[in-house]
Amino acid sequence: MKIVLDRARCEGHGLCEEAAPDLMHLDDDGELVIDREEITEAELAAANAAVRVCPVAALRIE
Amino acid sequence: MSAAAIRRIVVVGNGIAGLTAADSLRGAGFDGELTIIGDERHPACSRPALSKALLSDCADLTSHQLPAPTHGALEIAGRRACGLDAERRRVALDDGTELPYDRLVVATGSRARRLSDLAGELTLRGLDDALALRERLAARPSVVVVGGGPLGMEVASGCVAARCQVTVVSQGMPLEMQLGPHLARVFAEAAQGRGVALVQTESARLEEHGGATRVVLEEDIVLEAELVVSAVGDVPNTEWLAGTSLVTDGVVRVDARGLARPDVAAVGDLAVFPTPYGMRRIPLWSTAIAHSKVAAAALVHGEAAPPLQFQPYFWTEQFGLSLKAVGFLPLNGPPVYVDGGPGGPALMRWTHEDGRGAAAALNYRIPIPRLRRITEDAATGARRAA
Ligand SMILES: Cc1cc2nc3c(=O)[nH]c(=O)nc-3n(C[C@H](O)[C@H](O)[C@H](O)COP(=O)(O)OP(=O)(O)OC[C@H]3O[C@@H](n4cnc5c(N)ncnc54)[C@H](O)[C@@H]3O)c2cc1C
Ligand code: SF4
Repeated sequence: MKIVLDRARCEGHGLCEEAAPDLMHLDDDGELVIDREEITEAELAAANAAVRVCPVAALRIE
Repeated sequence: MSAAAIRRIVVVGNGIAGLTAADSLRGAGFDGELTIIGDERHPACSRPALSKALLSDCADLTSHQLPAPTHGALEIAGRRACGLDAERRRVALDDGTELPYDRLVVATGSRARRLSDLAGELTLRGLDDALALRERLAARPSVVVVGGGPLGMEVASGCVAARCQVTVVSQGMPLEMQLGPHLARVFAEAAQGRGVALVQTESARLEEHGGATRVVLEEDIVLEAELVVSAVGDVPNTEWLAGTSLVTDGVVRVDARGLARPDVAAVGDLAVFPTPYGMRRIPLWSTAIAHSKVAAAALVHGEAAPPLQFQPYFWTEQFGLSLKAVGFLPLNGPPVYVDGGPGGPALMRWTHEDGRGAAAALNYRIPIPRLRRITEDAATGARRAA
């Protein structure tokens, strides 16, 4: 499973980082960086929480 | 009943609160029968996008779409809950069926408050409203927006983007009640700079005149426009709970874990919960999410689940300004500039009277976790100064 970011949609709220700090963070310019694209079963709950919290649905899991 | 004996959970309301609650119930280890009832025809969408990207963008009609749910619940769409028997633990649906539950999540949100029942009064709450408004704006009508809160001002901004002539009618300066005087002024100037007329009034009402809807201000001054949109707050959808002890004054009061009673959680826009400033309703996107996570865990694990540690997050986009704010609003007095300066881009912080900090970023890209840390700096800075 993979976390996919639609960069054009991302507004840099960083709510996703709050939900899954081990998987993604916003850099100093406020750009979202996915630290772990390929995720394990154990990380799925955190990844799902990050996807859900994004108000513009810029993240998805494939 | 022990957690293992929870077999059936029913979630009423299919908005972001209901959806997050369902996801979080699974996350909390609930693997029993999960049912979600929602009365909208559309899948849950991002309401914040409806008054922003969806109104202003010419092309993107997908900004409100959320990813598909992963909770594996039975979804009953287009059906409305119309009654609750909290003692027998049954939800009554409008088709006459009854759903039994062991645990219940009340997440029916709220609807737009209206000033009249005239067809000429448009409101914005759901996707259909947004699409209808978008279509009307395309013809470039003159618009009066009644309500100077974040929603009214975002609608006005969308009107400007669609090149409509727009007047905002508000009680006091727009956004002052929500954001405080400093930020409100920044937004009012930006709105006026883009040609929005701001009219302050005590109480406006709507009336029909010659086939059109118009706005009557307190001294009987009348504003006419081709389109009237009201954005004057929301009303919690709690009528279906009438006759239960769950509702008082139209809202559901919950404890710090989001529970109205041990077997019933209430989350999102309809819930009143404990905050450092008393029992409050804070109808925001991230409130609904934070709440639902805590309440889902509490439904499954009871007192063992941690209570809500809550600090509000609010954002708005309008008139070329983008604001993110963390902490309890409104923000009184001038800010301390952490970076940037008046008008933005700026990173600002405030300290409330009780020493709690708040921070806001205006046209300034910053991750929310960092903005939260700035509120902590504000709080410790204040303690040091004291
Ligand atoms: C246009 C707009 C813009 C916004 N912008 C922002 C923003 O920028 N930032 C921010 O933080 N917040 C914003 N908000 C607020 C935020 O969207 C809400 O706080 C959040 O959506 C609340 O979620 P909820 O699930 O509690 O309620 P809702 O989203 O209202 O969901 C409740 C659902 O339950 C359904 N329902 C109601 N009664 C019944 C019944 N009896 N039976 C079955 N189903 C029922 C409703 O139809 C609805 O689908 C905005 C809101 C609107 C309307
Ligand atoms: S929450 Fe969404 S918009 Fe915000 S940074 Fe994450 S992906 Fe981007």
